[in-house]
Amino acid sequence: MSLVTPKVLDLILLAQSGKDPAQEQSQESPETVAVTLKRLVLGRRCALHVHRTMKSKTELLDGAVAIGDGNAILTVVLFLIATLNKKLVYELLSSRLIALNHYISFLQNEGKITELTDLLTMLGRSPDAAMAHFQHAVKTQGNNVDGLLRKVTNILANHFNQPGVDAHQTKMVDAYVKLLEWQKLANLPELSNRSALQCLAYTCSRHWTEGAGAAMSPLTLGQRQQISPLQFDWVVLNVHAKSGKWDILESLFTKKDWLGRSTVSSHVPAQCLLRRLSELGASSRLMAACLAKLPSADERLALALNYKVHCVVIQTYAKQKDRLALTNYKMTLNPQSEEYILAENTLRDPSIKWKN
Amino acid sequence: MDQPLNLKLSSLSLISQNKLQNILSQCGEKKDLIIDPSLIKALERICGVTWLRQHGVDKIYKMDPQLGPTANANRVYFIPACIIKYKCVLDQISSLISQNPSIADVNGFHIIIIPKVLNSFDSILESKGLYGVVKLHAFAWELMVLDDQLLSLELPFLFKQLFVDQNQSLLSGVAMSLWTLFHVTGRPKVMCSFGKFSAGVLDMLEIYNETYSRNFVDTNNSRDIGALLVIDRTQDYASSLLTPATYSGLLKEIFSINCGFLDLNVKDTKVMKGKLNFDSEQSNESKSTAMPLDSSIDSLYAEIKHRHFSEVLSVLSSKAKLLKNEDIKALGIQEMKHFVATKLQQVTLFKQNLVNHVLACETIISEMSNRFENLKLTETEMLNNRNKKTNYNFLDENFGTEIHIYNSLRLMCLLSLTQGLSYDEYNTLVNKYLLAFGYKYLYVFNNLINSGLLIQPSNIKLSLNISNLSNLSDKLPKWQNEFQTAAHKLKQLPSKPDDVGKSSPSYVFNGGYIPLVAIICNAILTSESLSEVLTKLSTLTDFKIGGVINEKLKDGVETLNEKLSNLKVSNDLEFGCKDPKILSKVVKSDPNFCNLFQLKPKTILVFVIGGVNYAEIAACEVVQTNTGSKIYIASDCVSNGSDLIAAHM
Repeated sequence: MSLVTPKVLDLILLAQSGKDPAQEQSQESPETVAVTLKRLVLGRRCALHVHRTMKSKTELLDGAVAIGDGNAILTVVLFLIATLNKKLVYELLSSRLIALNHYISFLQNEGKITELTDLLTMLGRSPDAAMAHFQHAVKTQGNNVDGLLRKVTNILANHFNQPGVDAHQTKMVDAYVKLLEWQKLANLPELSNRSALQCLAYTCSRHWTEGAGAAMSPLTLGQRQQISPLQFDWVVLNVHAKSGKWDILESLFTKKDWLGRSTVSSHVPAQCLLRRLSELGASSRLMAACLAKLPSADERLALALNYKVHCVVIQTYAKQKDRLALTNYKMTLNPQSEEYILAENTLRDPSIKWKN
Repeated sequence: MDQPLNLKLSSLSLISQNKLQNILSQCGEKKDLIIDPSLIKALERICGVTWLRQHGVDKIYKMDPQLGPTANANRVYFIPACIIKYKCVLDQISSLISQNPSIADVNGFHIIIIPKVLNSFDSILESKGLYGVVKLHAFAWELMVLDDQLLSLELPFLFKQLFVDQNQSLLSGVAMSLWTLFHVTGRPKVMCSFGKFSAGVLDMLEIYNETYSRNFVDTNNSRDIGALLVIDRTQDYASSLLTPATYSGLLKEIFSINCGFLDLNVKDTKVMKGKLNFDSEQSNESKSTAMPLDSSIDSLYAEIKHRHFSEVLSVLSSKAKLLKNEDIKALGIQEMKHFVATKLQQVTLFKQNLVNHVLACETIISEMSNRFENLKLTETEMLNNRNKKTNYNFLDENFGTEIHIYNSLRLMCLLSLTQGLSYDEYNTLVNKYLLAFGYKYLYVFNNLINSGLLIQPSNIKLSLNISNLSNLSDKLPKWQNEFQTAAHKLKQLPSKPDDVGKSSPSYVFNGGYIPLVAIICNAILTSESLSEVLTKLSTLTDFKIGGVINEKLKDGVETLNEKLSNLKVSNDLEFGCKDPKILSKVVKSDPNFCNLFQLKPKTILVFVIGGVNYAEIAACEVVQTNTGSKIYIASDCVSNGSDLIAAHM
């Protein structure tokens, strides 16, 4: 006599297996990889979960990448992340750059910065991980100096020290920290997270006279942030010109040589300097001093004509002994004006031996 | 139904309208429309406020994170497929529900997403617990006719997603728009793709063709469009980086142009906005006029849009003289009546347009004149790999003085692509840029490298072995870089830029460069045989051919399923288009095969993925005139170099 009937035994086996007898009969052939991919691309509902084998998962990934629809690619990648362990997924992604990029973009948009940096570090891309961290911090902290200072210092210490990170990038992040520290010290809302040159502009207009030791002195800031002389001069020029402090500019940019003539010394190249001075409404005298620096008389003349620096034009024509040109030029001038009188006087100068 | 192509294209908006109607009917009887401001102008091209009212829209609001209560509880949001904006909307809905939980059950929340709903959007909805409460609708509007022979999908965020973020999710949107277009115009016999994304678009197009083939779908070849060319923006970055010399190109440099409407704001131009300001933030309350840049409305624009800027002012002044000469005071009463009835409106409009264009010209001159000559010269020298030191110094001076947040980077990218930057040169410029605009922008340079606009120089100091030799090779001037080699093979660099006349498409860049789009169109339109086309374009690495030729090459009835099953890793799908090198073998063996590739088509449609610029459009018009054909240009938007750079920030 047996313990249980065969039918009961079958029942016990059925209960153990967890199979559904109803479903057994109506089992359709499972969805192939190609069908799933097509449904994904067409935006139809599809059953990703039936693809449980490593082989079909790999085929899904490769198929999606080959077709090129990013929506399908990302869906497959996220499916893999949900159903495979990280190590396997990272291995798959490491040889499929397009799929990897979609996942990176996804993590960035989701703000999942730790996962992103883990992924990138595991793939040997520490420099990219550091930059991803940096970008995230900058975009999420707004202009909050304290928050930025904390985060960027952290990133500098923990991520920009990794092997392979570009030395210049590290230098720039370090400079950022220095500037933020300075801004924290200055404690002015209008300077929060502004650029180095904008901060320099502020110090030029409010703290011009302070020496190189004072915190808010432009010289201190210039040294601290290693601002190039060209940019430094440019900021000084613009800030003082705009507020009409021409005397400061003249004392800065012009030097008197031993003959008592003014020459201009500035890191801003001559043509650029002239253009900007003209735009900002500089006096003829200052313009003339700048023009005097140019070696070529033709260039000087052309620019003087362009910017209407009359005294230089008149002087140059006199030097060239060109009476005709000077007379013509005089006609264009406003009678009764200073330059008209100067032109007249120059024409009447007996010491000049005119050519024409 | 043999309507002219232009009419067919204009009626694409009816299909868009129909799509929108379908969506709105699913959104309830009476609703409020909350629209993202960037989409307003584009929506106006599809339907007006009256039409919306007819379809149940009660009030219209601009999307704003701080948006308060609206007139109706039933809300329909209208946003682009950008994840940040999407999350913003979801947050707003969540906060509404938390204040008043009962509204969650009314099915009153709908989000219309342009152009498609991504699967990740669905998942985010689910994760926020809003699944079932908020319904998502995809609205893929059709190509919009911005101007004569110019179509746009008005998706300006596509470049950033595709090329900066390396996210191809919206590529199918491009394929879908072409698929719908070909239902109206018929399928072109010839299809070519230039670039990986373009090949993807052709593959996806073929998938749609296969899936949605029905016996009522007309599969005859189009009589309207002979060839389709799809090109990735990366194939020719130089055209976007160079400063254009045409009127429309310069308009885009100075003013913001949105969906074919120019914002004539002379006090706050794009050039001014991007400069380094040392004053405290000042908001310029200035008057601005919206000028439609549409040849059908503005005949004056039609005449001058592609002209070299040096000619435009004289054209405008001669028009002004003509107007003056029209003496209407001498007309009799009857003639006066006739004039008022028929011509007055036209003349008034013409006068207004003239005034606007003159103002625009004057602004262009005042903004650009001081550096235009030097810039033009430097760009041409860069293209031809001459005087690198001078070019670099020009750039360095620009970075140190009149630096512009976008245009300076543009020039840096151009120098990097054409002549290359050394490690030190690169870092000097980066340093100056960050000092000027803030260290926070450090990541921008990485983004520029990712999208291929900037080439990262290697730090030669790091190489420990034979460092002297590698230094030496960098110091020796290369007579030709990769850029020049490729450009010379494609004949993009005219040898005598100053002698170039209006019949050469290079006039758009002062004779210095012919945009790749024009070269490709010219090759297709003037070649006598398929092998000639293949030879002329042989240097383009990502060139693929699709269309009818592709169908004949399919072994048997190779469906997508079979293709995918036979796929190997990292191979291209080659479903919608194939590598022409495969074709050249077949071509040699079977001469009849060539007849499938219709040479010298009468009409070409070019689709640039990533944004087309006005210089390219003008260059194609020259090719069009020279060959007696028609070239229609389409893209996801009309952009320029600064737009490309701005997408990296």
